[in-house]
Amino acid sequence: MPLAGGTELVPLIHDGLVEADTLVELRQAVPRGISAGRIGAGTTLAELEADPHIPQVLREACEGAASPQLRSMGTIGGNLLQATRCWYWRLKFPCYLHGGERCHARQGIHREHAIFGNERCASAHPSDPAAALLALSATVVTDRRAFPLAELYRLPTDDDRGLTALEPGELILELELPRPDASVYLKAMDRRKWAFPLVGVAAARFGAATRIGLAGVAPIPWLLESEQELDRATPLPGTAYKLDIARALLPRALAALRPA
Amino acid sequence: MARLIRTEKEVEGNYTEQWIVVDEDALDQWPAGALQTVGQPAARIDGLQRARGQAVYTADIQLPGMLHAAVLRSPHARARLTRLDLTRTRAAPGVREVIGPGDSHVLSDEPGYHGAPVAAVAADTFRAAGAALALADVDWELSAPLLDPDLAIAQGSCVSDARIAERGDIERGLSEADAVVEAEYTTQTVLHNSLEPHQAVCAWEGDTLTVYISTQFIWGVRDSVAEQLGLPPDKVRVVCEYMGGGFGSKNGPGEYTYIAAELARRTGRPVRCALTRREENLATGNRNATVQRLAAGARSDGTLTALRGEFVNAIGFKGWSPSTGGPMELLYACDNVRVVEHGAKLNTPPNAAFRAPGFVEGTFGLECLIDELAAKLELDPLEFRMRNYAHSDLVDGRPFSSKNLLECYRRAEPHWARREEVRARSAGPWKHGMGLASQVWYGGGGPPSYAWIRIGADARAQVVTAMQDIGTGSRTAMAQIAAEELGLPLERVEVSLGDSARGPFASISAGSSTIPSMGPAVRAAAADAKRQLIEIAAQRYHLEERVLSLRNGHIVSADGGSWPIEEITGLLDEGQILGKGARGPNPTGMRTLTFGVQLAEVAVDVETGEVRVDRIVAIHDVGRVINPLGASSQVEGGIIQGIGHTLSEERLLDPHTGVVLTQTLDAYKLPTIADVPEIVTELVDVPDAHLTNLGSKGLGEPPIIPTSAAIANAIRDATGADVRSLPISREEMLRALRETRERSSRRAEPVEAPAS
Repeated sequence: MPLAGGTELVPLIHDGLVEADTLVELRQAVPRGISAGRIGAGTTLAELEADPHIPQVLREACEGAASPQLRSMGTIGGNLLQATRCWYWRLKFPCYLHGGERCHARQGIHREHAIFGNERCASAHPSDPAAALLALSATVVTDRRAFPLAELYRLPTDDDRGLTALEPGELILELELPRPDASVYLKAMDRRKWAFPLVGVAAARFGAATRIGLAGVAPIPWLLESEQELDRATPLPGTAYKLDIARALLPRALAALRPA
Repeated sequence: MARLIRTEKEVEGNYTEQWIVVDEDALDQWPAGALQTVGQPAARIDGLQRARGQAVYTADIQLPGMLHAAVLRSPHARARLTRLDLTRTRAAPGVREVIGPGDSHVLSDEPGYHGAPVAAVAADTFRAAGAALALADVDWELSAPLLDPDLAIAQGSCVSDARIAERGDIERGLSEADAVVEAEYTTQTVLHNSLEPHQAVCAWEGDTLTVYISTQFIWGVRDSVAEQLGLPPDKVRVVCEYMGGGFGSKNGPGEYTYIAAELARRTGRPVRCALTRREENLATGNRNATVQRLAAGARSDGTLTALRGEFVNAIGFKGWSPSTGGPMELLYACDNVRVVEHGAKLNTPPNAAFRAPGFVEGTFGLECLIDELAAKLELDPLEFRMRNYAHSDLVDGRPFSSKNLLECYRRAEPHWARREEVRARSAGPWKHGMGLASQVWYGGGGPPSYAWIRIGADARAQVVTAMQDIGTGSRTAMAQIAAEELGLPLERVEVSLGDSARGPFASISAGSSTIPSMGPAVRAAAADAKRQLIEIAAQRYHLEERVLSLRNGHIVSADGGSWPIEEITGLLDEGQILGKGARGPNPTGMRTLTFGVQLAEVAVDVETGEVRVDRIVAIHDVGRVINPLGASSQVEGGIIQGIGHTLSEERLLDPHTGVVLTQTLDAYKLPTIADVPEIVTELVDVPDAHLTNLGSKGLGEPPIIPTSAAIANAIRDATGADVRSLPISREEMLRALRETRERSSRRAEPVEAPAS
C-alpha cells in the first residue's frame, strides 16, 4: 500500500477500512513542488495554499481544508483519492459502496450526504481541492498516462463499486493546471474551521467560459455543467438544505469572477 | 464543636434530607471586595507543571507489570447473546485474563445500547488486548430498539416516575393571560468528550486496592469500589493527582474501574482500563436529548400569569431524569406553574450529568419562550424579565440566601443598549441581532468537607485534603484562601490533594460545589493554624493575642510591631503547627442559588444558514469571587461549550438500528478556536452574607446555562426566525427561515388572493 502524507491512510488502517501488510513510502517516487503550471502530486496542501503561483481557487480550497497540522502532512495526490466521510461506510455497514445491496444513508441519517449522483450511493466526496481542480480543468499525469481530472472519478456501478478510474498500482505523479483569468472557492461547513464541506463551490473563469466544480454534494467531485443543472439535483430529505446553500453560493462565486 | 443537624443536601439539583454531623463555622466573613490574595487574579500554581508535561494524569500512570484491558462492546442497541466463545481470545498472544458476563456486574449478555460492555481482556499491551477481542466468537439475537422518547413514555418505558411540580392554578393562569405562547422546543444529545478519556489503573498492594482514576469524586469512587468488592473502604485508596476534564461524566467509578479491578484481582497485576475516543463517544454518558412542550401566558402589562411545561428527557438505557423543568419553577415570580418531567428509557447509551444537567436544556426552552412572549406583547425582553423578578423562592416560600440578579440585569443594560447599533450592521444576506437569557442554578455546596494545614519552621504552609482538581483551578483557589487567612504570599502555600490516603474527606467536584464546599473548610483550617501561630507569638513577644494578626508574611501588632513570621515558626525546629477545618452548615430555611444573564450578538447569513456568534457578555452572581482569572476562564469554557451545544454538536444515531454514527471528532463537531467569539465576563462579586465563612458559590456550571437561549434569541432578533431546535445547524437555520417566510406570505395571502 503506497503511503504519502499518511493523513488519510493511517486512520483508514486504524479503523480497519484498509488492510496493509506493507506500506511503501512514496516520497522518492512522487514529485513534490510547484513549477510553471505543474504540481507534483507529493506537494502538501500547506505548500499549495501559500504559493502565489497557484490559482486562487486551489489556494482557497487548500486553506479551507482540514487543520494546519493535517495540511502540513497531507499531499494533493492523496487528497484527490480520499475516501468518503459517510458514517455508514466508515462504520462498515454492508452498504452499496462496500459491495452491499443498498445505501444505508438514504433511509438513515444523511445530512452530510449527496444531492447529485446519489441514486445508488448517497455518500459525499470530501475533498475541497478536487472541486477546485475540476473547475480548473486540471490534467492528471500518472506513471502511465495523462487525462482530465474529471475522468479520474466515476460513480459506483453494480459491477464496480470503486469511485476512481485508476488502474491497480497506478500512481498519480503530477497535475497540470491551466491558468484561469479569475477563480474562487467558497465553502459552507458546520463550524468555521476544520470540517469537511457541506457544500464547496469552486469556480474558474477562462476568458468568457466559466467552469464550476462542487465539493461535498455527490459521491465524486461534481462538475456543474451550468447553473440550471442545480434544478436537476436529487436531494434527499436531509440534504435539501445543501441545494439551498449551493443556490446561494453559486451566484456569489460567479460575481467574484466578473472582471472588475 | 461538632453538631448533629438535619439538613438538605443538594447535588446537581437533587435534594436529599439527611442527618449530618457538622462543625460550627465560627469565622466571620472577610469584608467584601478584593483582598490581599483572595479576589486578586492568580495564575494557576500548577500551570508550569501542566505546560511542561510534568503533571501526572491517570493516563501517565505506568506501573511495573501493568496489563492493559480492552472491552468488547455490543455493536447492537438491543440484543441477546446467543453464543460467546472466548476460547480463541484466551489463547491469543499476550492475553493474561478474559472475563465475560457473569464475571462482573458491569458485563452483560443482554445489552440494551450500542457500546454496552460484554467482555474484557487483560493483555501485555493494549494492542494485544484489542487483537484478542477481535477473535471472540459472538452470535446475537437482535430485537428492534426503542429509540423514540415520546413512544417510550406512551408505552410506559421510563427510568423513573414522572415528576410533577405545581403551584397555583395553571388553567386559571392561562385564562387570565392577554397573550399566550405555546411552542415545542427540542434539544439534542451532546457528549462530554473530555480531553482525558475515562480511565482507571487498579493495582493491589498487599490487601489494599489502589485505584488511579480520572475522577470528580475520589471518596465516591472509594466507597463504591469498596462496596462492590466487599472491602472495608479504608482498604481502597483512590488517587487522582491531575485530571483532564469530566463535566459530570466522571462523578462515579464507571464500568472501566470495575473491569480493571476485577482483572487486577484475577491476575494479581496492575491493570489499566483506558477508553478510546470512540468509546468516549459511545459509552461514557451524555447530555440527554429533550422534547419540551411549553406554554407561557402574561397580561398586557407584562405580568407572567402562567408557565407550563411538559418535558420528555430521552434518558437512554439507564440513568436519571434531570430537572429540565427546574428553571421554569425557579426563575420567575409566576403564581401559576405546572411542570411535568418524564424520563424515557430507551435503547440508547445512558445519560450522565453534564454541566448543569437539565437546566441547560430547560433554560433553552424557557428563555426562548419568554422572548417569544415578550415579542407578542411588544415588550422589551430585558424589561419583561425584570418585571417578573422573583424576590423569594416561590417553590416553597423560602428567602434566597443572596440574589443579585437585578444587579446583573442593571449591568446588562449598557450592553443591551448596543442592539440598535448591532442590528444596523446588517448588510446583504448578513443579518445582525442581539438576544439575552437569564440563568438560575444551584451551586451552594455543603458539608461535610475537611481540610488540614501544616506549617513548618520555614513558614511555608501546606494544605492537605483529599479533594480533586478536575482542571478548574481548585488547587490555586484553595492556596489563595489559605494564603489570605495566614497572611502569607501565595507562593508560600502548597496544596496537596488527589489521594484518599493522605488527606481527609472532601466534597465531590460536581454541581458547582468545589469552592463553596471546600473553600470554607480550607479557610477554617488556616484559621486554626493562624490561631496557634498567634498564641505562640503572643507568648514570644509578651503581647495579648487579640492585638496580633498575620499580614504579608509578618506577625503584626496593633501598636505597629512587625516580625517576619519565620521568627515564630523558626522556634518550631522539627515541630509543626497543624490546623484542621471543616465546612460548616448551610443557612437553614434559605435557598442558595446562583444567577446570571448573558447577552449574545450574532450574525446570520440568511441565504446559507451560517450563524456566527460575534460577542457574548456574561454577567453572573456567584457570591465572592476567589480568583477572577480562574473565574473568567470558567466562564469562557462554559460559553465555548455552550456554543458547541447551540450550533454544531450532536450525537447522531442510525434511526433503524440505534447504532451511534458520530464516534469520532471529525463527525462529532466540537467548536474550534475559530468559533470562539469575543467574550466579556463580569462578576457581581458580592459575598453571600449567609453562606459559610466565604460567601462564595460555585461557577462551574452557571456560564453554560443561558448561552444557547441567548444565541437563539439573538437569531430571532436578527432574522425573525423562531429557532426552537438544537443544534441550530445550517439545515435548522434554513428551515426556520423558510417557515418564517411562509408564515408571513400566508399572512399576506388573504389580502391579495381574489375571492372565489
